[in-house]
Amino acid sequence: MRNLLKECLAEESGFVELRYHHKESRSFHAERGRVESTALRKRTGVGVRVLEAGTWGFASTSEISKSSIQNAIQVAKKAARLSSALRKDKIPHLPKANFAVGDFIGKGIEDFRNRTVEEKLKLVLDIQNAAAKQSAKLQSVGCGYSEIYEEKAIVTTDGADSFFSMVRPEFRVSAVAKEDGKMESGSHSIGVTGGWDCLFRSQSPTEISDEACKTAVDLLSSSLPDGGLSTVILSPSIVGLLVHEAIGHTVEADFVLSGSVAQGKIGHRVGSDLVTLCDSGYSEYYEGAGGSIPVDDEGVIPTNTVIIKNGILSSYLHNRETAERFGVAPTGSARAWEYGDVPLIRMRNTFLVPGESSLDEMIANTKDGFYLDGAKNGQADATGEFMFAVQKAYRIQNGKITELLKGVTVSGLAFDVLQNVDMVSKEFKWDLGSGHCGKGQPAKVDAGGPYVRTKVLLGGK
Amino acid sequence: MDRTSIEKRLNDQKDLLSNLVKKAKTNGIDQVEIYSSYGYSEDVSLEKNDLNNCTATEENMFGIRVITEGNQGFIISNHIPSLYESIEEAYSLAKSQSTPDFDLGLPEPESIQNHFNQYDPSLDTMGIEDLVNSAKEALGWRNDLYPKVNIDSGDFSLSKGYKLIVSSKGVMAHELGAELSASVMGMGVDGDLVGSFDYDSASGFDKGQFQTLWKKAFMNFGDKCMGALYAKPISGFQGKVLLPPEAVYSFFLGLFIGSLNGTSLRKGKSKMAGKLGEKVASPLLSIWDDPTNNSFMGSTGFDREGLPTSKKSVLTAGVLDTYFYNTYEAKKAGLKKSNGSATGGAQSLPGCGPKQLQIAPGASAKDEFFKLPGKTLFVNRISGTKDGASGDFSGVIKGGYLLENGEKIPVREVQIVGNAFDTLNQIEAISKEGELLGESSFVPYMLLDGFTITGVTEE
Repeated sequence: MRNLLKECLAEESGFVELRYHHKESRSFHAERGRVESTALRKRTGVGVRVLEAGTWGFASTSEISKSSIQNAIQVAKKAARLSSALRKDKIPHLPKANFAVGDFIGKGIEDFRNRTVEEKLKLVLDIQNAAAKQSAKLQSVGCGYSEIYEEKAIVTTDGADSFFSMVRPEFRVSAVAKEDGKMESGSHSIGVTGGWDCLFRSQSPTEISDEACKTAVDLLSSSLPDGGLSTVILSPSIVGLLVHEAIGHTVEADFVLSGSVAQGKIGHRVGSDLVTLCDSGYSEYYEGAGGSIPVDDEGVIPTNTVIIKNGILSSYLHNRETAERFGVAPTGSARAWEYGDVPLIRMRNTFLVPGESSLDEMIANTKDGFYLDGAKNGQADATGEFMFAVQKAYRIQNGKITELLKGVTVSGLAFDVLQNVDMVSKEFKWDLGSGHCGKGQPAKVDAGGPYVRTKVLLGGK
Repeated sequence: MDRTSIEKRLNDQKDLLSNLVKKAKTNGIDQVEIYSSYGYSEDVSLEKNDLNNCTATEENMFGIRVITEGNQGFIISNHIPSLYESIEEAYSLAKSQSTPDFDLGLPEPESIQNHFNQYDPSLDTMGIEDLVNSAKEALGWRNDLYPKVNIDSGDFSLSKGYKLIVSSKGVMAHELGAELSASVMGMGVDGDLVGSFDYDSASGFDKGQFQTLWKKAFMNFGDKCMGALYAKPISGFQGKVLLPPEAVYSFFLGLFIGSLNGTSLRKGKSKMAGKLGEKVASPLLSIWDDPTNNSFMGSTGFDREGLPTSKKSVLTAGVLDTYFYNTYEAKKAGLKKSNGSATGGAQSLPGCGPKQLQIAPGASAKDEFFKLPGKTLFVNRISGTKDGASGDFSGVIKGGYLLENGEKIPVREVQIVGNAFDTLNQIEAISKEGELLGESSFVPYMLLDGFTITGVTEE
């Protein structure tokens, strides 16, 4: 594929970027004792981006042939020329980057190819059948396995020349429990970049299922916490959501240029000394983080970007265009969801660096607060105000966990929450690997970290 | 790409898909359905108060469903030369399963009464130059009228295409469509002050309709961003909330409508199970689903299974009238056939749901809601979470106001919690005025009482 793309570029002058992308997504779902759905999604094409007359032009084609790709290049060039008259802030050129050259084959691909459809169907069916028998209160249990296999080739006129592939399996269980007309749901999911063994390394399918079912049943006897500003200990999944939503989005350089709260804050204190925050294309601490990428969608090798070092804001996340504007090196953060999408600045694996406390110490040191666990969803704002939703909130009184409460929405101002971090644990976990981030287009991301104690606004009664 | 070339492509594809279905039948694959979705679009995007990118994209996606011996396989592909291989692959997926349900089957064809080919020929004379001009105009509005509003992103799109469904049972239906659309997202920025982001969008069948609606949407966006710029934290209270149409539809009503989905009902996940004919909401609330109105953007003559759509009452004065079914869920519910409520497109299996909801206007003047005594929270948007089974929702209010003694105070760091099913009975008043969301669903303002509002300051 790299050769075909290079052939298409042979006579091109100026900047042209060709991105071949083939994506196969398989999903299997069982519920109520049977396989409810099996689906295979295949999408292939080439996205063409040009920089001409100081502006971008983009076109895509699903036909993988030299003539079709070359036609798309001409369409993209025409589009760029048309828009050039209006664009005020022209892009003079793109900076040099640490381009990927060669083939980068991800781990786990053989493993995923060698396992049969029947094996994957049996997994979801067996787990679903066993889970549904756990409690008479369980109204419904659904179990799903899915995997996304992708291969990409990125070739540019200024030096990128790579092929890479990866597979991302996910496993999820959701349960609904019912009692006296009350209904509650629980869910648990995991996702990695890698093979089947990597997927179930930390928790077996049965353990994942048990956790989802137990949450649904336990929540039947829970009530809302008291709302208000509260001391909270966040589990790694919640820390992941916090650093992704509260900080990660505000430091994406395109958002910074639009006026996010992180604008002009490089070198300023934005968190306590205990806070060191990174976003990486790799999988620090252990393999398999769900947002890992060997090459970004501009053909750049991703870095481990230290966003906050001991409380001081030190870097934004950049594509090539914003790196030029800020006079720094690209961080390898340009990502596109499908071949027909233009690469945007996106997070990869976002994490807080572990500290020195233990979770037990943190609970024992908390007189009045909550332990929050089970990430749901979240969003951030330009103001730095974020929200994320949790499944479960456990009351902590006098250093001990007491009752289970309904998890609700938690919110705060990003930098205030980081300033209030006063304990960080030694333990570390990637725990958002089944998550997708939305920003005009989806992106597979992961996030995680240690257990963290801080203050947030808890919604409640 | 013009109407003539799109129609030619459609006609060629009807033949192609019919032949593939015939070939599959000959080879022993009896139940095959192919849903094709073709789109050509030209787009101009904005970023950071400037033009960002011009794009041209074209794609044809196919959703292939094969049912055999009570099992179903589904393939999505954009590769026309290998469509027959995809049918075989879907068949193989179905055959690999061991849990048949003989209620699974493709529907028999039915006559489609409403034909919508919403493709205005004037769009054939338009192109990316017109989109660039629209972008230029919007940037001008921003510079002249809202200099403190930063446009983070925006998009202008001219899209054309068709949807087509062909099945081995004889279903054959298609619709052409073309529209102009635009959206914008951004926030107010004044020195170090940054407001909550907001967005708005508009679409139209022709240039005139689009321009009128887009200008209104842009001004609405600018006003919302400016309104959120000087927001303050407040203390919590128990009381009333005022929901504008967008908030009514996106958050509060969505959970209720989701609970009327045939799949949720069958799986025991819906609190509305067994409630047909019962009062489940305030008598002030009446809702119907109407995909048959030719002037609305979301109108369509057939559903995801190629069956005719129709107008149906969902809620009459708080009494539940209907659920939403596709063919499979209707059969599981003991009905003879679906009610034309299969949802989705080429990239998904048929789901169940409404096409174009309409909420009956009430008797109150919306301006009166803004002058109520005491405290009322105006909820512009909720950034939060909702749980379909329990109906619980919670979230942060974005771009909201505290309405107090005729004053309109922009607020931040305010949370609201509630339960959608309880909320149906907390409606105190519905406005006469409303908005046509997405040029498709009429939704009025709603005033509700009995909410817990959490703030960060002390009283």
